[in-house]
Amino acid sequence: MRHTFIDRYSHLDSPVHRLDPRMKIIASLAAIIIITTEPFTGRLVNLFLYCAVTLAVTVLCRIPAAYLLKRMLIVSPFILMAALFYPVSVMPANEGSIISGWRPLAEAGLSVFLKASLAVLILILLSTTEKFHRLLMALRRLKVPSIITTISALLYRYIFLLADEMLRTARARESRTPGVLRRGRLKVYGNQVAVIFLRSWERSQVIYNSMLSRGFSGEFPDVQEMKLRRADIVIPLIFIALLLLIKTVV
Amino acid sequence: MPAGIKIEDLSFSYSPGRRVLKSVSLEISPGEMFGIIGPSGSGKSTLLLHLNGVLSGETGSVTIGNIPVTRKNLPEVRKLVGLVFQNPDDQLFNPTVEEDVAFGPLNFGLPAPEVRIRVSEALAMMNLSGFENQISHHLSFGERKRVALATVLSMKPEVLAFDEPFSNLDPSMVMQLMEIMASMGSTQVIVSQSVLPLITICNRLAILKDGEIVAVGEPRSLVKDRELMKASGLDLSLYRTICRDL
Repeated sequence: MRHTFIDRYSHLDSPVHRLDPRMKIIASLAAIIIITTEPFTGRLVNLFLYCAVTLAVTVLCRIPAAYLLKRMLIVSPFILMAALFYPVSVMPANEGSIISGWRPLAEAGLSVFLKASLAVLILILLSTTEKFHRLLMALRRLKVPSIITTISALLYRYIFLLADEMLRTARARESRTPGVLRRGRLKVYGNQVAVIFLRSWERSQVIYNSMLSRGFSGEFPDVQEMKLRRADIVIPLIFIALLLLIKTVV
Repeated sequence: MPAGIKIEDLSFSYSPGRRVLKSVSLEISPGEMFGIIGPSGSGKSTLLLHLNGVLSGETGSVTIGNIPVTRKNLPEVRKLVGLVFQNPDDQLFNPTVEEDVAFGPLNFGLPAPEVRIRVSEALAMMNLSGFENQISHHLSFGERKRVALATVLSMKPEVLAFDEPFSNLDPSMVMQLMEIMASMGSTQVIVSQSVLPLITICNRLAILKDGEIVAVGEPRSLVKDRELMKASGLDLSLYRTICRDL
């Protein structure tokens, strides 16, 4: 069965791909904080400059634009909703309102859209330019609680198996459904989900037994070493410095 | 010399009133290949989980070498006994092959250079050198099965316990796995419904029915006892007919 893995372009070779995953995570978070803490009005120029810098990094990554757009499209409805409704939520109800006038409101909406889109793009670049297991390893090294990294690792490992199982049960259902499912559609789908849930529950017990039998004590140990090169520090620093420069100078 | 296994009067139930194992006693010699056959639900897999201390009996005891399987001895016992589960997807829970094969040795506190050597050795034994950075989900079923075995071999256990190792394998892969198992020097306990491979590779067989050991003996003489096999829910007459026809 074919699956779309979020790190399917992590094998490409680019200056961003070659960076240490820990520095990529730190730089991405710093960039998101810098961008999203801009005020909603009067800073559109800054946001466009952030866009230019982020797009330059995107070009460096050599990820196909169509793939990035497709991934962004998935979250775009939420971004659009936020961009449309934020101005409405701060519309002048009385004289003491924060933003008044249509132009600043439109600007606020646009800045919500740009900020959210840039944050999503940065996260997509982070997850696309690094193998998922190395990202988890980096998170562990950055002292992220092991419960989060362990659950993420298991989720990423087994979500495709669950998808396969879902498809298999769907096929079994279809094979016994001549034409369109006419009656009790919701009940059938509900039963299907329940079966998958029960199987997952049983499987989780076996997996836990398997982990215990190999000495699992609550933490996933790391076998690969991570060494920081000079470029791993310099390149993310230049990226962050550029964003800070825009934030403070422009 | 690998460790032997002694199971004495072992009983276990998952829920009150429904005993899955009933006073099971077995003695398996060091280096022996010991098969356990029985119908579905007879308690074979449950018995296997007791060898590694994943489950512990309500009564009775399990001893690996000279070490009793108790809560206190669990780390030591788990170093000695490697469990290979039926479905490799249950055993391969790490994103990459290398991480999965290194999981056991790292948990037992081995230093990283030693772990890397063990990973290479275990993968080489399974003809999987170069698979270190492969994602488990991308591998074929047969490859996943071999990686699952490598995850246990990297712990260099003295006892290997296999749960249905031949299920879902094509005949050539069954042969391949049998060769690999026969080449290992460890004590092996193999639980399976595939009776034919067990007759071929095991020194002794035990029949488990409704949680009780009903017979132990030399494989060929055991399966020749038609009445016993039939009474144990292991009617092999179909195999006999096919073998005669062939």
